[in-house]
Amino acid sequence: MTRHLVDVFDTMLAMPAALLPNAEPPQFFERISGSVGFAGETVTGAVYLHLTEAFANRVAAAMLGLSPEEKISENDVNDVVGEATNMLTGGLKSWLCDAGADCAVSTPAIIRGAFDVEVMPNVAREFLIFESSGERIIVEIHIKLS
Amino acid sequence: MATKILSVDDSRTIRMIVGRTFRPYDCQVCEAGNGEEGLAAAAREKPDLIILDVTMPVMDGVTMLSKLKEDPELKAIPVIMLTAESGRENVLQIAKLGVRDYLVKPFKEEQLIEKAGRIVTLQKKPAA
Repeated sequence: MTRHLVDVFDTMLAMPAALLPNAEPPQFFERISGSVGFAGETVTGAVYLHLTEAFANRVAAAMLGLSPEEKISENDVNDVVGEATNMLTGGLKSWLCDAGADCAVSTPAIIRGAFDVEVMPNVAREFLIFESSGERIIVEIHIKLS
Repeated sequence: MATKILSVDDSRTIRMIVGRTFRPYDCQVCEAGNGEEGLAAAAREKPDLIILDVTMPVMDGVTMLSKLKEDPELKAIPVIMLTAESGRENVLQIAKLGVRDYLVKPFKEEQLIEKAGRIVTLQKKPAA
């Protein structure tokens, strides 16, 4: 996941991102979150990408080739965050499938607000926290293996 | 005559990136938001190349490709598949579908030009 997140930010946005291995678990904050679910016979889960609204706007501008000053619609920001989450989850899906845990992925969904994602029973939750251009990027993975 | 390219993706972001990628070339890029719209656009526009996403609502890229290959009027249109999944099994499955090439997201615009340029003529527009 670390490599995929760095690849997405570097390739599509020309924004270097680095993992913060010792970062504290995130506090709830007002944000834009992309989510993509995955499900197979032996594995289910979801990947969430959490960004502040200001950073999500910068990411959207970078991906769409706009200047940061240009007005970007909420729909365009949602679409960019969803697509970035989709690319991240595709990387995880590839790894799972090659490891024998075949699964399918959903189309992306977007949630805006300050919230915690409830962890279902027997589901492992992992946070990966990155920094890019002074902003935090939080990747949250929920995964259940059977 | 401009090369006609059809971009089929549920993400407006990706469709915009595809459109931007071919802007310096003598290309006409048309768009569709899912496989169903993509099939209709392919029948209407008869593109020289289709850039097709895999995971989409309504009709996914794999289903659209199967239907395209069943249609005698459309089956010869070359397709480059865009996928977020680089896994061995996924790549093998895509290869079996009869696509001309595939590109894994995230991708650089130059990679798309390189792959498309192997299939269709891409003529740079004269500088304005």
